[in-house]
Amino acid sequence: MNRVITVNLNGNAYQLDEQGFESLRAYLDSAGARLASNPDKSEILSDIEQAIADKCRRYLNPHKSVVAAAELDRILAEMGPVESEAGGTAADSEGQRKPAGDPQPRTDAPRRLYQVREGAMISGVCNGLAAYFNVDVTIVRIIFVALTILTGSLWILAYILMMFIIPDATTSEEHAAAHGQPFNAQQLVDRAKERYAEFRQQSARWHERWRRKRQLRRERRAAAAERAFWRGERAHEDVGYATRVLAGFMVPVFSLIGAALFVVVIIAMVSLFRTGGIFDWALPHEVPVWAAIVILAIVYQAVHAPLRAASRASYEASTGQRHGWLAAADGVLWLGFAALFFWLAYLFIPEVRSLFESVPFEWRHPLATWYAL
Amino acid sequence: MATDEKFSSIRKGLLEFLLLRIISADKVYVAEMLERLSATQFATQEGTLYPLLSKLRREELLDYDWRESDAGPPRKYYKLTTKGRTQLAELNRYWKRINTTIEELGHSE
Repeated sequence: MNRVITVNLNGNAYQLDEQGFESLRAYLDSAGARLASNPDKSEILSDIEQAIADKCRRYLNPHKSVVAAAELDRILAEMGPVESEAGGTAADSEGQRKPAGDPQPRTDAPRRLYQVREGAMISGVCNGLAAYFNVDVTIVRIIFVALTILTGSLWILAYILMMFIIPDATTSEEHAAAHGQPFNAQQLVDRAKERYAEFRQQSARWHERWRRKRQLRRERRAAAAERAFWRGERAHEDVGYATRVLAGFMVPVFSLIGAALFVVVIIAMVSLFRTGGIFDWALPHEVPVWAAIVILAIVYQAVHAPLRAASRASYEASTGQRHGWLAAADGVLWLGFAALFFWLAYLFIPEVRSLFESVPFEWRHPLATWYAL
Repeated sequence: MATDEKFSSIRKGLLEFLLLRIISADKVYVAEMLERLSATQFATQEGTLYPLLSKLRREELLDYDWRESDAGPPRKYYKLTTKGRTQLAELNRYWKRINTTIEELGHSE
């Protein structure tokens, strides 16, 4: 049993089965595309529809009301492909017209570097690079492992950074672009210009969007409005490649700033708690320590919230919809940064060091205390 | 087959001329034109013919009337305009000159 679709051919109803309908639609679509620049397009198309309708009628009788797919295919074969402008000059024959320039669809999409998740070991960085340089993924993986060993694991950081910076290929166009056509030097230059223009356009658009949102925020003032500002920002819907790279680059930067901020606040809190002031600066007498800590926490939240929202917007812009993976990796990166900053602060800021040493031993070494018990 | 290919672009180019000749004889509609051509080397299809007819009409070489038919919807009957007739006369003369040239150059087997 087949579904039947009724079509209107130049004012008359005809019934086709689904497959026939698809071929008819494909035929008329391609006819429409070839006649795109023809001033009589609509008239020719209605003539064509009428001719198809006349032919359909041949296959119908009082006992048969549906034109079958095979019959329709025969009709379309009889009609022949609709030509853009038939019989103009002798040079008009098959295929020789292309230089005259009816716009051909661009088949050589520029190749771009994406993370390709399908068949990936970790995140698809090696996969994407392999597709980009058109080499076997195993070779790229061996090079990566070798680099990791040679650089004493530092290359892992490079991998993590690439994980953030290189956008994910999520749509089929992006997959096609990940494997795109080989390019030459001229195309490379052209593409660089193109990307620059795209980037400028995008950043102008982002700037404009940001400005508009800020204005909105001013008008509303309320905290709810601020949430809408960040949540409502659907950055990934039409961002270009360059913007996505930038967004991916910004994720670890935001993470770095966030971790630094966190470390500063923690040190300040400990300092407040232990000494009743922040390093050399002592609290005024009338302000109790708990109030200072609450104020510090509020200030931290106020500074940190937009930062976190911005980094979340960057996930979305960088990866499209699925940013859970990136968020998790970002969390790990954040922890790493935080630990690094603590360590640096401990090493290079004497106040922090003395502060740390003023903390009771069992606080500093909970595990040691645990084993001692 | 090879011969057919050698003349494919010429046949295509001549289609316009032949259409003008067919239409000049009598008012005709598209199915008739296709039928007249189908038995010849110039057999063609609707997909080619409609765009060509619309181009000729844009060049004001031909025009059409709607005429009722006994079976089905009204049809477009094409006819030559005055400009079309002038053009056809020129094309006829030119075609004769081409034929003469071909005859004069070399010998046909």
